[in-house]
Amino acid sequence: MASFSNGLRVQANVIKALMIRELVTRFGRENIGFLWIMAEPLLFAGLVGIVWTYMKGPESHGMDIVAFVATGYIPLTFLRHSFGKSASIFLANSALLYHRQVKVQDFIFVRVTIEVIGSMMAYIFGGLVLGYFGMFPIPSDMGALLAGWGIYIFFVFAVCTVLAPLSELSEVIEKLVPITTYVAIPFSGVFSMTSWLPQNMRDGLMWSPLVSGMELMRYGLFGSVVTPYYDVPKALGVSLCCLVVGLILCRRVRRMLIVP
Amino acid sequence: MIQCRDIYKNYRSGHVNKSVLKGVDFTINPCDRIGLLGRNGAGKSTLIRLIGGVEMPTSGKVTRKMSCSWPLGFNGGFQGSLTGYDNARFIARIYDKPYREIRDYVETFTELGNQLRMPVKTYSSGMRARLAFALSLAIEFDCYLIDEVIMVGDQNFQNKCREEFFEKRHDRALVLASHSTEIVAQYCNRAIVLHEGKATIYEDVGEALAIYGAL
Repeated sequence: MASFSNGLRVQANVIKALMIRELVTRFGRENIGFLWIMAEPLLFAGLVGIVWTYMKGPESHGMDIVAFVATGYIPLTFLRHSFGKSASIFLANSALLYHRQVKVQDFIFVRVTIEVIGSMMAYIFGGLVLGYFGMFPIPSDMGALLAGWGIYIFFVFAVCTVLAPLSELSEVIEKLVPITTYVAIPFSGVFSMTSWLPQNMRDGLMWSPLVSGMELMRYGLFGSVVTPYYDVPKALGVSLCCLVVGLILCRRVRRMLIVP
Repeated sequence: MIQCRDIYKNYRSGHVNKSVLKGVDFTINPCDRIGLLGRNGAGKSTLIRLIGGVEMPTSGKVTRKMSCSWPLGFNGGFQGSLTGYDNARFIARIYDKPYREIRDYVETFTELGNQLRMPVKTYSSGMRARLAFALSLAIEFDCYLIDEVIMVGDQNFQNKCREEFFEKRHDRALVLASHSTEIVAQYCNRAIVLHEGKATIYEDVGEALAIYGAL
């Protein structure tokens, strides 16, 4: 037990050090630095929201369209960045593998966590600004909103633990990683609510934890205006399977990794 | 004590499979000064990486019962885009040591002055070696793994290394991969000759050097 808690402390130190290093290398010490991380999702969500407003009117199914796009797009940016940065993540950080206490899983965990922080900031900041102009509702069910985010993040992390070692195994997969984002879009519940779809599609989409997560988030935000469809046990089950496969792959790939 | 038991290491690249180590067995005792000899490509660096846990053996086991540095060599261990100070901070954090002490030691040992505020990728190999040695000495390991680098340093650096490793820390273990027969003869009490994937350990360094010279 003592060695376990000691190991936990070491990993906590490593993760803290990696987070700081990542922030310093990626955003530097000058400029608005860390704040850049939320600029991109906000800009895009804003622009798409404006275009949609002109095309479809300011409301859709009782929800403000800008708020609808923002709540879909910010988690999607998080997913895209996390997947994209998983490719070759072991090799990119390999100089740090000289220190035995640094594990490859730490790299993935840190990248995803930083993306989480950025998109959370974008979500809150965007929500406050839009809310000021009356375009964003006050969350009607905070618990559902957070649970939805939790499911979404857990699944993205699990997929990253699979993508990262696979990208190391084959160059083909490394090149295919950016495509996974686009493949994920129809299964991510970003641009539509499941309740707008026919029954058979709805059942199929329940296998995607992203859809369950997104539906819960939107329900937590918009409340009874939307009819959410989600399946928490299925979402957690799929994510957990994915995570187990990913961790096994990480372990195997680490054993054969050539550190330059 | 560090034990290497029946270590095999294969590298695979595409369809080419190269086996570098074919059953390497030995033990590093506390206070051992082991010289690692072998021709280019014999697997000296590979063996040092395996002892340090940077790479894993294809089969066999490395058991570490004392703390062991990362391999101090021409590369690895640093983030090139970060400054010397940032790297020191990173290493202080992951080895759970107070940064202040590490920084003071690094400043005196490396004598790099303002260069420590520059990204490590702008350093020469001698400067990198100074930084790596300073950090690993500040952390205080029981066993140091050194891959070639003592030779890249200038006279001043070599003197410092001699003082720090062979005088102040004579109670620590050391594995030193080197082509310099002088250094090995002067400082090591045991030697390993790596040849064709096999390691032979000699208690008599003179004998090992003779065999190495004949390869």
